[in-house]
Amino acid sequence: MSGSGLALAIVAAVVFGTIAFALLGVHRIKMDPAQYIVGGRSFGTIFLWVLLAGEIYTTFTFLGIAGLSYSQGAPAFYVMAYGTCAYVIAYFITPRIWQAGKDLNLLTGPDFFETRYDSRRLGVGVAIVMFVMIVPYVAVQLSGLQILLRIAGYGAYNATASVCIAFLILAFFVFATGLRGTAWASVIKDALVLGAVVFAGVALPMRFFGSPSGLMQRLLETHPQMLVLAPGDAYHGTIWFASTVLLSAAGFFMGPHSFNAVYSARSPDTLRRNAALLPFYQCLVSLMIFAGLSAALLAPGLKGPDVDQSFLLVVQRYYSPWILGLIASAGALAALIPASALLLAGASVITKNVAADAFGLATDPKSQTRLTRILVLVVALLALGVWLVAGKTVVELLLIYYNGISQFLPGVVAALVSKRATAFSVGAGIATGFVVAVPLAMLNINPLGMNPGFVGLIANIGVLVALSLATRPASIAIAE
Amino acid sequence: MRPTPLSGAFWLPLILAAVPVAALTIAIPLVNRVEPRIFGMPFLLCWIVSWVLLTPAFLWKIGRLERHW
Repeated sequence: MSGSGLALAIVAAVVFGTIAFALLGVHRIKMDPAQYIVGGRSFGTIFLWVLLAGEIYTTFTFLGIAGLSYSQGAPAFYVMAYGTCAYVIAYFITPRIWQAGKDLNLLTGPDFFETRYDSRRLGVGVAIVMFVMIVPYVAVQLSGLQILLRIAGYGAYNATASVCIAFLILAFFVFATGLRGTAWASVIKDALVLGAVVFAGVALPMRFFGSPSGLMQRLLETHPQMLVLAPGDAYHGTIWFASTVLLSAAGFFMGPHSFNAVYSARSPDTLRRNAALLPFYQCLVSLMIFAGLSAALLAPGLKGPDVDQSFLLVVQRYYSPWILGLIASAGALAALIPASALLLAGASVITKNVAADAFGLATDPKSQTRLTRILVLVVALLALGVWLVAGKTVVELLLIYYNGISQFLPGVVAALVSKRATAFSVGAGIATGFVVAVPLAMLNINPLGMNPGFVGLIANIGVLVALSLATRPASIAIAE
Repeated sequence: MRPTPLSGAFWLPLILAAVPVAALTIAIPLVNRVEPRIFGMPFLLCWIVSWVLLTPAFLWKIGRLERHW
């Protein structure tokens, strides 16, 4: 078999094997909405850790970080910092979101807003915005998948068509298994990604530079500016770094898929233990930074969206199709498994909060599960369409997502600590955040060197606090 | 019962939580340099990796203070 066929055949075998494994894991479980969307609120520490790591460590970890390290160097360190700050926030807020979910029988992220602020309009608005934000996040995974398949096929096959096929297979997998299937598939995905990341971050620098410190020595001789940030308010400077870390940390658990994962925990302490343990997983990111920096020395000259390919091109050029196939399979699962959680979350907010709550469709459990399943396929086709039309680098797509999704954190925190916050003040805060962040981001303006989404977040908090103090307090609160 | 906002038991966990976040955000301009290198790694990278590894210890301590384990 030719090299190109071999590497792609390995990818196909791994993806199908993982799906079969996950189907075996769930085949006896009866699917009501609570089982399908939040796994029956029964996941223990380890299963939840695998699910969370499976959702968080995506194709961005795999290609985006290497690409950013390749093109910019030190700004890529922000990924390690924001994940860690996010777990500190998660330690405090996720157990309380879980408690509210259990007490009030919540299934989705918008449910939380709707119930606490006693406003269907806020719930529907949050549901629609979350749904819209899911689409670029899924597109991130598709861009990654395309790169992986193109390089694994040595350019001999049509990668766009392969992406479409792989993604539709995935949509049917989610259709069949729900959140439990995703968690089982994450077990295999994490094991493969771990192997691939260690290979990338340890074996690659050792082969070409003797050791990771040899790599740093070479970089200091040839690209000394790459290992530190630009000062102050410069492009990708220290102010950009700190504001992007805070913004991304704020958005980390605000995606609708994260609400599903939080509700799926068995107890609040399961979530606290996870928050304390997940930073260890974040260390793996440093290995992908080594991989990207190695590629900067070994395969210089890539520009624009091509930087995401850097580390895979090095593997393709210097290693056998076997190794390329295994690395590309890990990457393909890192794209597909998080995408499955995203599809499920996007479909569940529309079923529960828009179709059932706002329009009175599909109100009984059986038809809700059925409608969620159908919508999984609709979201998949929509994301595929957007991805085929748009074309950006993985990091750019991801920053669009974080600029938007982070705007939900002030409303969640206010729900947990204050009785004064109302649907009106929270809704106005979210709207302000979007009105400020979106134009700044589109025009590429960084006020005082800060990330545009962070400026939106500050405006959001300001409006929320001012309006909450100015209006009559709400009558209920799910704060303890 | 949750501790009231004025007691030490309320503030200590929050202060402990703020330490790693501050180290990874507002402290960054102070540690943005290559030297001194540790095991050949630039200082900025070492600083960030160290705080990633220390954060579980902080969260574990907070969990003890709040009697979750």
